[in-house]
Amino acid sequence: MLPLLTTIVFLPLVGAAVTAFLPKTRPDLPKKVALGFALADLVAAVVMLARFTPGAAGFQFTERANWVPEAGIQYFMAVDGISVVLVALSALLTVLAIVASWNIGEKPAFYFSMILLLAVGMNGVFCALDFVLFYVFWELVLVPMYFLIAMWGGPRREYAAIKFFLYTLFGSVFMLVGILALYLHPEAGGTFDMIALAKAGASGVIAPGFQWWVFAAFFLGFAVKVPVWPLHTWLPDAHVEAPTAGSVLLAGILLKMGTYGFLRVSLPMLPDAAETWAWFLALLAAISIIYGAAVAFAQTDLKKLVAYSSVSHMGFVMLGLASLTPEGVNGAVVVMVAHGLITGMMFLMVGMVYERTHTRMIADISGVSKAMPVAGGLLAFASFASLGLPGLAGFPGEFLSLLGAWKSDAFSDYYVIASALGVLLAAAYMLWMVQRVVLGEPSAAVSGNPDLSARELSTLVPLVALIVVVGVYWSSLLQYVDPAVTAILAGMGV
Amino acid sequence: MPGYWQLLPEVLVLAGAIVALFGELVPGKDRGAVLVGSALSAVAALLAAFGGLADPLFGGMLVADGPARFIRVGVAGLTAVWLLWLSGRGVTGERSREAAALAMFSASGGMLLAMSADLITLYMALELSTMPAYVLMGYRRGDIRGLEGALKYFLLSLTTSLIMLYGLSFVYGISGETLFSRIDLSGAGTIALVAAVLTLVGLFAKMSAAPFHYWTPDAYEGAPASSVAFVSAVPKVAGTAAMVRLVQVLDTGTPYLPLVLGVVAAVSMVLGNLAALTQQDVRRLMAYSGVAHSGYLLMGLAAGAYLGDLGRPGFGFGAAVLYAVAYAVPSMAVMLVAAEEGTQVTSLARLASRRAPAAWALVVWLLSLIGIPPLAGFFGKLYLFGSALDAGQVWLVVIAVLMSVVSAGYYFRLIREAFLGTCDTQPATLSRSTRAGVALAIAVGATFAMGIFASPMLSALGFVAG
Repeated sequence: MLPLLTTIVFLPLVGAAVTAFLPKTRPDLPKKVALGFALADLVAAVVMLARFTPGAAGFQFTERANWVPEAGIQYFMAVDGISVVLVALSALLTVLAIVASWNIGEKPAFYFSMILLLAVGMNGVFCALDFVLFYVFWELVLVPMYFLIAMWGGPRREYAAIKFFLYTLFGSVFMLVGILALYLHPEAGGTFDMIALAKAGASGVIAPGFQWWVFAAFFLGFAVKVPVWPLHTWLPDAHVEAPTAGSVLLAGILLKMGTYGFLRVSLPMLPDAAETWAWFLALLAAISIIYGAAVAFAQTDLKKLVAYSSVSHMGFVMLGLASLTPEGVNGAVVVMVAHGLITGMMFLMVGMVYERTHTRMIADISGVSKAMPVAGGLLAFASFASLGLPGLAGFPGEFLSLLGAWKSDAFSDYYVIASALGVLLAAAYMLWMVQRVVLGEPSAAVSGNPDLSARELSTLVPLVALIVVVGVYWSSLLQYVDPAVTAILAGMGV
Repeated sequence: MPGYWQLLPEVLVLAGAIVALFGELVPGKDRGAVLVGSALSAVAALLAAFGGLADPLFGGMLVADGPARFIRVGVAGLTAVWLLWLSGRGVTGERSREAAALAMFSASGGMLLAMSADLITLYMALELSTMPAYVLMGYRRGDIRGLEGALKYFLLSLTTSLIMLYGLSFVYGISGETLFSRIDLSGAGTIALVAAVLTLVGLFAKMSAAPFHYWTPDAYEGAPASSVAFVSAVPKVAGTAAMVRLVQVLDTGTPYLPLVLGVVAAVSMVLGNLAALTQQDVRRLMAYSGVAHSGYLLMGLAAGAYLGDLGRPGFGFGAAVLYAVAYAVPSMAVMLVAAEEGTQVTSLARLASRRAPAAWALVVWLLSLIGIPPLAGFFGKLYLFGSALDAGQVWLVVIAVLMSVVSAGYYFRLIREAFLGTCDTQPATLSRSTRAGVALAIAVGATFAMGIFASPMLSALGFVAG
């Protein structure tokens, strides 16, 4: 029996290598091979979910080996209820991204091996529990994403790709400083073991003053990735220029790496700093929510609208995390999953519309539901989910986040009131978009186009199903997440 | 005669140099002679790696300790790879046997330098490792630009060597000893600092650390790219070894020495990285990037000196030595590709469609130079930054990480050119060369391996789990 997590993480690497070396004379092969590997990876992820014991706190499927013992670096992987869900989401979205890229004609072997390489990094970040290993995967995602944007992106792709790379590198080098600072801590350090460091954080040996500046270093690393206002400016560029699959994975998984970092590192390892700065995180979260929503309102480009709505939704994750209450943190994780599903679906839909109309300008697209009833219906469905309609996945997470934030003593309730306004704004810009794009008479660009193909539907149906399941039956998700969240908060002593 | 077998690697490299001088008599002429040199250097590297450590030689003038072994393996290995490439490609428009001989003379000097534990052997080995480099830089006799650069390099290097010698004379004057193990400068007061500064100026210039870096871009720009590949890598690795030894000797426990090293490190990182951003010539770009990387190295030395003053063992020196090799491998390899493709940044255009393996190799090396895991450069920086933080030099680490981001800006210009660049003219098709291909493949392998399999190297350098 292969070690499960290693298989899940490195199977796509094998796939990437195989895909890269497929003969150039068979341009149809890479997508099939890549899909094969991604599906195998998804099966492995489902096996992991099935064998995971949801009720138990702590980490499961532990794999541990020495890597560089001289420096205390290990090969250490394990998952808890939070990471297990995110790994599964990453494996699912990788499959969907490959199916959505079926018509990529230029350099297919290169393209699909980059998607699989990206999957290695995404799965790895959520499995790794040694800081160096974590950082390896964290940085690994930059390279394939750079190429996906720079080679297959829109007109300003080179600018967007290097901006993405430099921004996130800027954040992650400070994270590296934070990692080293913890490693060098005389009592807590000497190890890169993230569980040991979390225990040290819980035991209170790390002085609050030291925690503050380490927290600041990690904050830069994670906040750029989330992205939190005002570090978000790379995101609209990257999203707009990226190919559809790139946007799906960027919004679906890469942004979650940032909030996952807060949850896995900042909260448990630096509890005093997290409590002290909770108001600051909540303030930035509230600004992100309002700002993202307000800017989304003003967008004329459909993809940019979805991109800014991501800034807004990720703000709810930050708000939930900052609340440091069980409701809020659970809600944050639920938003992470829900946003991955919903925004993934939104970007897929935008890509499908764009492939037909060759425009993303809201002004040029109208009457989608009349010309393409299935596409119109699903776009409306995704929009409703995004605005947080109860019964769909967007609702429970944001509800819990707001509830937790209201209950929290860490910051003023005005932040919560402002954030709640963001829900209202989301409803407004989404419905306005639906009114202009989905309803009405078909515009010239829209009319005469075929409705969604079976392949396209196959990428959307799993998302629709999961959005409904998470929306109606939250506890299916919370049974995994809650024990892990409880463990983290118990360690923090709140 | 106990222990003289330890010098076998140096003897082998010297033998290779002499074989290369008689290239006319070797089957295969130039190519054959250079290949023999490459094989001998490779054997020397293996011997140095697995030969084990023994007692000091010549009354302690040469010491084969862990860092020395690491540097010797690095120097011999880099030379072997460079010669393998040279035997496949040659120097454009010139005979390559003298280049090979000069490189091997320089390499033997570098290997001796790594073991030097005496002022006189250190100075002689340093000169042996840099003298041939002057000739390599001006290797094309008819090239006025090249000669100008080489002359600049020669004059500046000579001047700084003399300044360094002046400094060493103070050291001898204070202590009356030449053996490092017996030199004790503590209690000498200000004069020891004068000696230290004079000595370090010479080494800063040889390592092209700011503000003594002015020779580097001009010399590199005029030289054949293949020579730059060697000179930017091997003497720098050897120079790091010399700095590690001298800093330990010159450190009298005053806070000034770590401060001088730290300031020079910071200036080098900032100046090198910012100046590299606008360069259009790969050689100038790599020259400035070399200035920046010298800054990173010096950061490790500053940390080592500081921790030494505190009487705490630290990773600083070991990290600097490790980083020197981790920098040298990709830096040399990038220049070798530039030697094949042309030295303008734009000559790399469309490399990905012409030579996909070379383009991907370039990505690996450049990412390693930026410090992306799991490559050699990342682990080098991890230990460097760690040691500097350990020494409490947070300001230096912040500069270093910010400058790493800046460096991504210009390294990515090369990647961008290789994958997205367009060129109007059809570049001359490059002949196939298995040897050059193998040499570049080894460089890729080493860039990965030094990161992923760092454990044995760290134990050789004396790292102990914190």
